[in-house]
Amino acid sequence: MTAHADQPPAAQELAPLVYDELRRIAAAYMRRERPGQTLQATALVHEAYLRLASAGTPWHDKRHFVGIAARAMRQILVDRARARGAQKRWAGLDRVTLTDALAAATSEAAMLPALDEALTRLEKVDAAQARLVELRYFAGLSIEEAADALAISPATVKRRWALARAWLFRELSDSPA
Amino acid sequence: MTPERRQRVEQLFAAALDRDAESAAQWIAREAADDPAVREEALSLLASHSRAGAFLERPIAESAPDLLADETPLASGATVGAYTIVREIGRGGMGHVYLASDARLGRAVALKALAPHLVRQPSHRERLRREARAAAALSHAGICTVFALEEIDGALYIATEFVDGRTLREEIDSGRRPAVDEIVRTAREIALALAAAHARGIVHRDLKPENVMRARDGSLKILDFGLARLTEPADGARAALTFVTDAGLVVGTPAYMAPEQINGGEVGMPADVFAFGVLLYEFACGVHPFGGASPLAIVARVLDSDARPIESRRAEVPDGLAAIVARCLQKAPGDRFRSAAEIVEALRAAEGAVAAPRARHAAWWRAHQVAITIVYLAAAILAWQFKEWVETPITVGVFLALGAAATVGGVLRGHLVFTERLNRARLAVERRRTRRALSAIDIAMAALLVGDAAWIAPVRALAALFALSAAVAIVLASLVLEPATTAAAFGDDA
Repeated sequence: MTAHADQPPAAQELAPLVYDELRRIAAAYMRRERPGQTLQATALVHEAYLRLASAGTPWHDKRHFVGIAARAMRQILVDRARARGAQKRWAGLDRVTLTDALAAATSEAAMLPALDEALTRLEKVDAAQARLVELRYFAGLSIEEAADALAISPATVKRRWALARAWLFRELSDSPA
Repeated sequence: MTPERRQRVEQLFAAALDRDAESAAQWIAREAADDPAVREEALSLLASHSRAGAFLERPIAESAPDLLADETPLASGATVGAYTIVREIGRGGMGHVYLASDARLGRAVALKALAPHLVRQPSHRERLRREARAAAALSHAGICTVFALEEIDGALYIATEFVDGRTLREEIDSGRRPAVDEIVRTAREIALALAAAHARGIVHRDLKPENVMRARDGSLKILDFGLARLTEPADGARAALTFVTDAGLVVGTPAYMAPEQINGGEVGMPADVFAFGVLLYEFACGVHPFGGASPLAIVARVLDSDARPIESRRAEVPDGLAAIVARCLQKAPGDRFRSAAEIVEALRAAEGAVAAPRARHAAWWRAHQVAITIVYLAAAILAWQFKEWVETPITVGVFLALGAAATVGGVLRGHLVFTERLNRARLAVERRRTRRALSAIDIAMAALLVGDAAWIAPVRALAALFALSAAVAIVLASLVLEPATTAAAFGDDA
């Protein structure tokens, strides 16, 4: 790995590799999954890291990998949701207060394309916040793990996360109906 | 917004989070009193924060694992047991669907590969076999036949009849609105197929435009009968939506779920009846009866609000059909038709009512409209004569008022007669629109005639008596005759 430490490979070169690995592990996981277990996004990223690292894939370090994996997860999931035609059925978060469970059930996958676009807008305003959303929402990192991956304090992560959520929620609520 | 001001917004927002909800907004307003843009942005973000709930808190891979694990579809030419894949024709919550050929019988089938997570549990598989057996027992021209449930290499496939055509969803999305007779025919075909299944105690549970195909020959076929249940939790009783949050899969289609289905209650034939109502409404009007900006808004309206009447969107929908749709869309299952068989019956009754008897009695209704218009004219002429005899401001005023009322009333009634003759489908709406105005005109004219008669009585007693009888005639015609001729002609007194 040290040979590449000075020149980490560009994220876009590695993304397809990570993408394939993540998908393979997830599919295998779904086949053998037992009742009551749920897929853990962080475990998935971790396993992909172990596999790719042991295969000698050139990562700058694990933080670097996690960032790419989060980006790859975003791409995979948004593409999938788009392929399912989700965006046609989704036109904004609703203001009606129903349970969060219901909200998640009816619109989470359908929301992804719109979320992806909002996230791209957030990148322009504050790239660090967009990275954080990828780590937390797409790669499933906890506050502490995200703090570690971004080399900032958990308190800062918490603050930025609250702001990013509020910002994105507002973006999606204001989508034209 | 400059980076400095953005930073100030972030600081205000972060500091506000440490305060309790009530004082936070006031605090921001005070702190940022000097910069309205910063203040508004911070307040807006704070408001979003308080509404955001658990938004994004659960990683997407956990709430929608199937999205990630979705396996690569089978390629054309691949073989699965005795089936050769021709091409993928769809995918949904249950998995990929392929057009395949069955080598044993040399026929084309639709092969549905069930997503692995649906069939992990043995109890789930067992129930799936049971449901597939029940669905396979259904044989009806309007229902897509289930051929077999195959277990190949541990994966489960359902082979069904392949229907070449397009779904009602595609027809609805094409933007073309069907004519009334096409709506009626579609309603009848779907109701008949649904009734055949209900007669065997099989409930569809996920009836929606995506699940109804119009074959190339024009006939309709309902797909996936009874299969919606396969995607529910094995313990059955709990709502599909509960399963959704457990495994992150959207089961059923919230927009077509009856209120009891959304609430996790008993789901039976009335739920199909509700979905039928939604489907037919959407087919006729192109919009969802509980239309909202998002699936959530629709769900909220299905639970809380009444559907906008179908006849307000498509005026030419016959009253009988409109009433059937309205009844299907009732909130309480007990207020709907109990099964599709009852819909079939109601459709027959409605069609019968549209046909023969109305045409026969409409002549009486037309005669009534013409006769009343003549009485209007007579009243106006009478008032003119009174004014000639005794010219006072009052008699002149009454004449002008009667003349105006007679003109408006005559035009409205003429309009109804023309509508009845030339644009029959529109008549119900026009009658509703003009009913109040016509009653008001009748009452006003009678009152004016009585007043005029009282004024003229000392001079011309006989003419006054004639005016009085005309007033009585108008009132009686309005209150007694008109409802009777209308009911005879159109089967209602609206």
